Amino acid sequence: MPEQAFNQKNIRNFSIIAHIDHGKSTLSDRLIQFCGGLADREMAEQVLDSMDIERERGITIKAQSVTLHYKAKDGETYQLNFIDTPGHVDFSYEVSRSLAGCEGALLVVDAAQGVEAQTLANCYTALEMNLEVVPILNKIDLPSAEPMRVAEEIEDIVGIEAIDAVQCSAKTGIGIEDVLERIVKQIPPPEGDPEAPVQALIIDSWFDNYQGVVSLVRVKNGVIRAGDKMKVMSTGQSHLIDKVGFFSPKQTESGVLRSGEVGFVIAGIKDIHGAPVGDTLTLTKNAADKALPGFKKSKPQVYAGMFPISSDDYESFRDALGKLSLNDASLFYEPENSGALGFGFRVGFLGMLHMEIIQERLEREYDIDLITTAPTVVYKVLKKDGTEVMVDNPTNLPPINDIDTIFEPIVEANILVPQEYLGNVITLCVDKRGYQTKMVYHGKQVAVTYELPMAEVVMDFFDRLKSTSRGYASLDYQFKHFQEADMVRVDIMINGDRVDALAMITHRNNSQGRGRELVEKMRELIPRQMFDIAIQAAIGGHIIARSTVKQLRKNVLAKCYGGDVSRKKKLLAKQKEGKKRMKTLGNVEVPQEAFLAVLKVGK
Amino acid sequence: MLPPLALYIHVPWCIQKCPYCDFNSHALKQDIPEQAYINRLLDDLRADLADVQQRPLNSIFIGGGTPSLLSADAINRLLQGVQQLIPLAPNCEITLEANPGTFEIERFAGYVRAGVTRLSIGVQSLSASQLQRLGRIHDPEQARLAAKHAGQLGLNSFNLDLMHGLPEQTLADAMADLDGIIALQPPHISWYQLTIEPNTAFASRPPQLPDDDILWDIQQQGHDKLIAAGYQQYEVSAYAKPGHQSKHNRNYWEFGDYLGIGCGAHSKITVMTDNGLSIRRCEKIKHPQGYLDLTRPLRYRSWTVAEDELPFEFFMNYLRLFEAIPKQLFVERTGLELARAEQALASAKTKQLIDDDQQYWHTTELGRRYLNSILDDMVGND
Repeated sequence: MPEQAFNQKNIRNFSIIAHIDHGKSTLSDRLIQFCGGLADREMAEQVLDSMDIERERGITIKAQSVTLHYKAKDGETYQLNFIDTPGHVDFSYEVSRSLAGCEGALLVVDAAQGVEAQTLANCYTALEMNLEVVPILNKIDLPSAEPMRVAEEIEDIVGIEAIDAVQCSAKTGIGIEDVLERIVKQIPPPEGDPEAPVQALIIDSWFDNYQGVVSLVRVKNGVIRAGDKMKVMSTGQSHLIDKVGFFSPKQTESGVLRSGEVGFVIAGIKDIHGAPVGDTLTLTKNAADKALPGFKKSKPQVYAGMFPISSDDYESFRDALGKLSLNDASLFYEPENSGALGFGFRVGFLGMLHMEIIQERLEREYDIDLITTAPTVVYKVLKKDGTEVMVDNPTNLPPINDIDTIFEPIVEANILVPQEYLGNVITLCVDKRGYQTKMVYHGKQVAVTYELPMAEVVMDFFDRLKSTSRGYASLDYQFKHFQEADMVRVDIMINGDRVDALAMITHRNNSQGRGRELVEKMRELIPRQMFDIAIQAAIGGHIIARSTVKQLRKNVLAKCYGGDVSRKKKLLAKQKEGKKRMKTLGNVEVPQEAFLAVLKVGK
Repeated sequence: MLPPLALYIHVPWCIQKCPYCDFNSHALKQDIPEQAYINRLLDDLRADLADVQQRPLNSIFIGGGTPSLLSADAINRLLQGVQQLIPLAPNCEITLEANPGTFEIERFAGYVRAGVTRLSIGVQSLSASQLQRLGRIHDPEQARLAAKHAGQLGLNSFNLDLMHGLPEQTLADAMADLDGIIALQPPHISWYQLTIEPNTAFASRPPQLPDDDILWDIQQQGHDKLIAAGYQQYEVSAYAKPGHQSKHNRNYWEFGDYLGIGCGAHSKITVMTDNGLSIRRCEKIKHPQGYLDLTRPLRYRSWTVAEDELPFEFFMNYLRLFEAIPKQLFVERTGLELARAEQALASAKTKQLIDDDQQYWHTTELGRRYLNSILDDMVGND
């Protein structure tokens, strides 16, 4: 089919790699607008971030795609498939998925700020995957923009040519056409044989209430048509394809997807695990004999307990987690039973941001009030009997006498920081038990690599790194290995009762200080009640810190006359509303935030 | 049987608005339209006559705002008008709230001639700097004079209002204030803690209040002082010499009925129905301008209190009286079965905030300190 061959030559598949705030969303909106993907009135700001949370926080969580048609200066019309990528370090795993569907990537760098570590990590991923990386200098309209310096920095740090990088401003629209021209010229068309047996890579799958599982795929070889019978290669299950098509960014049925193209496939699959991300689709007729190389499954890095405040919500909480996990293959959960908090779930997350987002979605979209316990990393424990256990919950740490050695997870953290803040960053890393392995100067920036305990990194490290460098330092990290460490469990007791949900695992050297800070923090967070409340921190049977929430002296309205009744009623109702969000432990009412107090200590 | 009936009359004007006050009061911009307002009050009462249901008035309370901005003549006309519409019970208590300003003090005798039997004087503090901070326009000397004067008028009783827990107040400051008040020998003292109410100047710019421990010491020591001086505490903030409790306020706390006339006044009226009783509340138009507009109805809104809310309303009021609560009275006043009250108090009982026997509920020592906790289980379940 000559028409098809022609098409494939004019296809360009690309992603955008950019740091948060460097203008990825604005740039994608501009590209869509320029190519007429949406009428102006349909341009809800930042169309690709379709979840409310994505738009509010200005971040992308899920990969999405859009197919555009661009008539280039050479007179030809090109099909541009743009696959969006998440920008936050928690979601770097999803980036590699998006990149797997592309031949090229736009490296968008803020011309005023320069390269950031996260961008760099993603950029290296792209280069490793043999993608053509096209540097773009954005925000050149800013008075503080230094395109030449930043171009040099890209060359120096990333190691790609950037002197003639496109200069644009997604905000004002300057240079947008140049970006499109560069995509067409520099990114190669997809290879692949339309006549060969079908092989399509599942870049992402999500569950839609009306359509079932929708899979975003990149067709590597062959042609997929609606009505074909497809086979999911890992499971061997076959399904009749209902619909195929593109996102323009509206879902548009085309009836056919050819080799080189990116689009959606809907085949009436009811469970997201029926179309796993990274899997290969083929057809039952003339099936491919080999699956495409997929990508490794993401593993949760931190675990936290999540418990509904009201036990009546348990069922709806379980349903909500089930629904969320339909769209989030990296979300892991299993039932957990806490003496203090009752029935809930142990939930695994990619990182703290992921955790915050899940908690927010559960509370907002599913209207469930939750208590989240302090997140913890996974420790490897060698017991004296020679067995090894993985511990993702402080409560499950074996008794001290049974433990031979505890190993904590260590990450390799790559930090990019302007020279003037290097000292602060080093101080922070040392404070967090870090060990420097590499330091390279690139012009104004320094790339420094540390081995750091993951437990220290996942908590507040990112925030502190940002504040100690006035926002300039950036971070990327990945798990490196387990390392022996002198860890202990600090238990918290409220009025003498051990509260399992408040236990934390910490390094012995920090345990005294953190215990003290923690009981102090708890004292501030727990409101005065009808009796004194003793808060103690203990290691084993040894009390290391103590504080007391003093008794509330009285809780009485000073006055109340005839006309006051309605107003006073409102006042008391409001007080009670506040209490509803507290958990009663024994007879002590403990607010939600107290369970996350661990995060506030050790600063 | 219907509960006893009281009448509240609201006078909405003040010379200036105090920063802690959340009552319906309006700073006076010109002379009070006395005649027009009295006429309107009597119209208001006339429209409510059906709610009287053959009951005499046990008490009348003219509150505000600052009722002592009205002339003695006006009060006379008002009270005459009321008596023509509703008979007064023997010994009907008629209270008027007054500011201890020189100008008002001169009117006291006239008020007594008009029928007022009790004055309630808003002293609030005897510290000049505190008075200023509270937005009061009188000074300590005027307050003393007003109290002295009130004692010589042949009134049945009078009350002095005193606040504590004032901005930056120390224990010694508060005790000095209280000593000063006791020395004036009022038969009744309303001694209440300053609370920051929403929608007040203090709420938008909160002053530095004493901490909980100081407040507690003030309350403990002040209470002892009042008891030693011969006062009895009969409500959270009300202290009286024997025989001088306020009938009118007791009626609120005993969940009696009341008519409210004047700007923003509230009524609570019990109505017998085929299947027991129901309680109706009503609120009058709040702003003087609207209230004085002859073309507009005086009732702003009225509603029937939901059955579910009756235990809360009953106990929120009655618990304030530090005395045994007759179980029979709950049934009488709410029309609900006793079981509803027992249910509402169950968790307070396990927390030992409430005790009971066959006929009465008793608030425990602990319960008196945590009245709001007793009410907790009754509120917000709608």
